[in-house]
Amino acid sequence: MILRNLLVGLAGLGLGLGLTTTAAAAAETADLTVTFRGMTAHQGAVLFVLADSEASYDDKAPPRASGMAKVSGAEASQTLTGLAPGRYAIKAFHDVDGDGKMGTNPFGMPTEPFAFSNDAPAMMGRAPWAAAAFEVKAGRNVHQITID
Amino acid sequence: MDRRELLFGLATTAAASIVTPEVARAAAQADRAAASGLDWRVAFADLDADMPRTPMRRVRGRPPAGLSGSLYRNGPGKFHRPGGSVAHWFDGDGLVRAFRIADGQATLEARFVDTPKRRADTAANAVVTSGFGTPAGPGARLRNGDDANAANISVMRVGDELWALWESGSPIALDPADLSTKGPRTLRPDLAHAPFLAHPRREPGGDIWNLGVSGARAMVWRLGADGTLKSAQMVELPMASYVHDFTATRRHLVLILQPWVQSRMAQPFADSFEWKADLGTKVLVLDKDDLSARRVYELPSAFAFHYGAAWEETDGTIRFDGCFSPDASFATENGRRLMQGTWTPEPSPDLGLVTLRPDGRARLEPTGVSAEFPRTDGRVSGGPRRWTVHATGGGRDTPLFNGVAAHDWKDGRSDVFLFGAHQLTEEAVFVARPGGTAELDGWLLMPSVNTRARATELHVFDARRIAEGPLCTWRADRVLPVSLHGGFVRG
Repeated sequence: MILRNLLVGLAGLGLGLGLTTTAAAAAETADLTVTFRGMTAHQGAVLFVLADSEASYDDKAPPRASGMAKVSGAEASQTLTGLAPGRYAIKAFHDVDGDGKMGTNPFGMPTEPFAFSNDAPAMMGRAPWAAAAFEVKAGRNVHQITID
Repeated sequence: MDRRELLFGLATTAAASIVTPEVARAAAQADRAAASGLDWRVAFADLDADMPRTPMRRVRGRPPAGLSGSLYRNGPGKFHRPGGSVAHWFDGDGLVRAFRIADGQATLEARFVDTPKRRADTAANAVVTSGFGTPAGPGARLRNGDDANAANISVMRVGDELWALWESGSPIALDPADLSTKGPRTLRPDLAHAPFLAHPRREPGGDIWNLGVSGARAMVWRLGADGTLKSAQMVELPMASYVHDFTATRRHLVLILQPWVQSRMAQPFADSFEWKADLGTKVLVLDKDDLSARRVYELPSAFAFHYGAAWEETDGTIRFDGCFSPDASFATENGRRLMQGTWTPEPSPDLGLVTLRPDGRARLEPTGVSAEFPRTDGRVSGGPRRWTVHATGGGRDTPLFNGVAAHDWKDGRSDVFLFGAHQLTEEAVFVARPGGTAELDGWLLMPSVNTRARATELHVFDARRIAEGPLCTWRADRVLPVSLHGGFVRG
């Protein structure tokens, strides 16, 4: 049923890897450590993008940064540096088979786990920006996401 | 207008704004139920906790020698939670029951399938997961079909497991010994969360065929008898119909595309569909050995949940039966009303025979017989057969059905037993007599909810002598909600 509908919206998880963070003004920079937890397959990597606006989160503008956290246990993390303080949101999937793509079944539904910042629940597509956005302040920040 | 008229007018306006037709109907039905001492609502009430194995009491007749094994059944069993309830009968949590018969005694046990949906709704203390007719509540998560999988339509034995089946997510494996949940079965990693209908077709002694449908595309699943995947192939459908069941001959798969079509993306799921009678019904016939070999037939518009096993004649004519209604109103209306404690009497589905001719002509012939939950002798599935067993006596004073029948396609006669309005009868399953080979030589096992005794019962009929009434009836010490589908495992 339902779930053709579901994943319109998740196409945006096809990540534009290769982007790296760029230096912001030194006085106001923030670092963000993203920790992923709950992985049941202890292999592959969690691939994610960091959006710095609703437009960027909705794929109407480039993401601020992207990342890849190697998975060798139930937890994995990566730190992004040089961010401007502000509101951000993360879209992530666990690339269990290491092919760099979010696996989908023939109906286009994801077969690999995915998640959003704030653990915002997916509802027939990506969680909305309003539910996934969180504040990054100057200095060190930590954000945890459950992905299973 | 004087003051008295004014007040009277205000009073009736206020009453009209409160007493909706649904409320008035529910009140009238409750009055009638109270007057008759029968209340069908007990068949749709929650079971709050698993039911351990409990002896049933024999209240009629004697069990036939040679009848031994387990009847496994599934159906929605919990509907209400403090913070919010399901809006549709089809959205209750899957409750698997086992009627076990041995040495002339029967026991009954029931256990909920441990699904992510049930866990999420339990944690929220409210039904928040969207479903067939229930919208999502706050905090709902719907990443894929399995987040909404109620595992509540059917249960079948596959290898040494039971599979609880829904239709838009994975089979959920259970342990037949205690009905505990083992977990979802992913038939291949790249097919995770793909839809899998609750009505697989088993070839006698051979493979299991099934569909998974989303929009105008279907997965054709082919499994070995032990549940191992043999193939999974996508086919395009003539239209994006709601598909609950399909049928098959030995050589062909027969997919019935009715004019209840998905016209938008919405949740709950049922709100995605529109009845478009002018589209008619299309029947897609696929060659099992070459799914690209396809043929499409046209029938008048009709709605059905269920079909009987199809067969093929020597000239290539294909026939199958189904339980047809003029439209999808049970799915959209009464399925919801049942959860509000009310319903609108509607005509029973009619047993109809579809004939697909080699020259492309197709016909649907009604019989005038009330029918749902059609079953056949599984030993003749896909080949020529004479009988269809079904629930009957619908369209009367209660929801669902009050009897059971076998329809003889050879002479057009129906062997019927009607219990009366105090019994809501469920699906009857055929069990072959040990050593027998002739079609329908054996028994029917059929549960019912006895609303007078407020108890679930299990009836045994001689499948060739239904009109004589049950050979034996066992009664449980409580009511379980009415179930949908299942099967018998000899033992």
